[in-house]
Amino acid sequence: MAGFLATVDFSNPYFAVLVLLVIALAMSVGFVLLSQALGPKRYDRIKYGVYECGVDPITPAAVRVSVKFYLVAILFILFDLETTFLYPWAVLFRSLGWFGFIEMAVFVGILLVGLVYAWKKGALEWQ
Amino acid sequence: MFLGNLASLRYFLPEFAVTATILLLVVLHVVTKSPRSTASGFLSLLGVGAAIFLAGVAPAGAGRSIFEGMVAHDGFAVFFKVLTALATLVVIFMSMDSRDLAGRSQAEYYIFLLSTLLGMFLLSSATDIVMLYLALELVSIPSYLLAGYLKGQERSTEAAMKYVVYGATASGVMIYGFSILFGLTGSTQVAEIGRSLAAGKATLPMLLASVMVAVGFGYKIAAVPFHMWSPDVYEGAPTPATAFFSVGPKAAGFAVLVRFYYTVFAAADPGTGLWRLTSAVDWPFLFAALSALTMTVGNLVAVKQSNVKRLLAYSSIAHAGYMLMGFVLLSSAGIEAILFYLVVYLFMNLGAFYVVVLVSNATRGEEISDFTGLGSRAPFAAVALSIFLFALTGIPPFSGFIGKVYLFAEVIHRGVYWLAVVAALNSVVSLYYYTRIVRAMFFEEPKDASAIPVPAVSGALLVLLVAPTLILGVYWEPVARIAADSVRMLAF
Repeated sequence: MAGFLATVDFSNPYFAVLVLLVIALAMSVGFVLLSQALGPKRYDRIKYGVYECGVDPITPAAVRVSVKFYLVAILFILFDLETTFLYPWAVLFRSLGWFGFIEMAVFVGILLVGLVYAWKKGALEWQ
Repeated sequence: MFLGNLASLRYFLPEFAVTATILLLVVLHVVTKSPRSTASGFLSLLGVGAAIFLAGVAPAGAGRSIFEGMVAHDGFAVFFKVLTALATLVVIFMSMDSRDLAGRSQAEYYIFLLSTLLGMFLLSSATDIVMLYLALELVSIPSYLLAGYLKGQERSTEAAMKYVVYGATASGVMIYGFSILFGLTGSTQVAEIGRSLAAGKATLPMLLASVMVAVGFGYKIAAVPFHMWSPDVYEGAPTPATAFFSVGPKAAGFAVLVRFYYTVFAAADPGTGLWRLTSAVDWPFLFAALSALTMTVGNLVAVKQSNVKRLLAYSSIAHAGYMLMGFVLLSSAGIEAILFYLVVYLFMNLGAFYVVVLVSNATRGEEISDFTGLGSRAPFAAVALSIFLFALTGIPPFSGFIGKVYLFAEVIHRGVYWLAVVAALNSVVSLYYYTRIVRAMFFEEPKDASAIPVPAVSGALLVLLVAPTLILGVYWEPVARIAADSVRMLAF
């Protein structure tokens, strides 16, 4: 053991990370095991039920969600990202000049085709 | 050394042609009243034809690194661009008369096909791991959609689902490998990573990285043990899409495999046509084992198949195994053999799938029993399929034989005798299941003996696929020379 300790480089800046890692691992595993070992176990119907802030559950937890939510979320991410690209371009608009303008026009143009497609396909209608 | 963005644009014309076609297809689909019209098919043909012309006929100033080192414009990339675009062209023809797709909206299908093509262009030329990952996803994601295109058919949906799950896992493992490489070297440039790794000696991380990256690429070329998705996907997907998966993404996967491993984990010895290992990890041996395993599993499982699409899926796994033989040799002759084999494989495999499309249009089935008596029901298609199957086996005088000769010769030349023996035994096994279909076509009595009509256009396309399979079996020298030139121009 002493021989092993002699080989460890305590001055390494990452040594603290290793210590943190070991302690975090030990604590998280330890607490799970401890509560398993020490905690009281009283199983009954209510204990097995779904927890819903103390109120009796009225519907099953797994509900079918309309696929339209997913569609809207995807479209949102797409155009949200577009905006993220537009901001830095707008800030540097003058220094980028015509090159930046044309490049952005191509980018927005491609997305515009996508928007028209989504629109025509009825992705923007809720019904 | 690197070309800037604006200066690079003129070397990016094939990609522009494909992108413009995709956008036009979207617009056409939106403005047109009848989404089932064949206009989108013809438009895609035009676009891919233009891309082939721009990539192959006019390769302006090949041999440079463009877009700040993101993409290489070299002979190797041009070769694979033409190859994958050619495969796409044939698949578009096939799709236009496939019953699988008839009665469905067509435009999206071609949009996905061309998006995959764009991804394959980038995959075969990417020289930066970020670009490489992006290109791989651009190949994968439209492929998932193609596999699940027969909406409402359980098998197709299952295929897409399996494809997504396997694909996501494989690319996740691969990008973890990339992150290790980036951590070791601090660069995303493939060439730069190769140089840093050659200077250092980090064996364990390199082993991890090379294995993890192999998972991602192995999945794309469907090498055992990363092949599990392919039979189900091949069976469930629309048949033209299956033909496409078995050639296009596989070819692009080989392109990226060669470019990546020969740059990152090996270095060229100038003048000798050989590469030497720069890593302590013996990855050629690893891949040689994978190659032997891939062809053996592919061939042995194919023996039991009764569905022709599944049979061809396993046979294409086996062919990936044969081609991997050329990859492990660290010689330019080995890579040339892969390139040549991919060309002959393109024609014989797409041809075999095309006959399957024609037959299942008429019989509505893809079991071997649906092929019985094809010799009298549709003699021309039956003879064509026999030629393709014999070529796939590697029997002279068909092109598959020459492809195998190149591979075997280089394997023996480099002294990997055990691999040559395994491959030779495998070829014998493959003869059994390929001839089983031929026997069903010519020597078994069909339940329904009515003639299957082959439209003139389909017949013409079949002739166009049979011709190279025959011609490359006797006069292959020009293609071999193009393959050799492409490897010589492998400018990293």
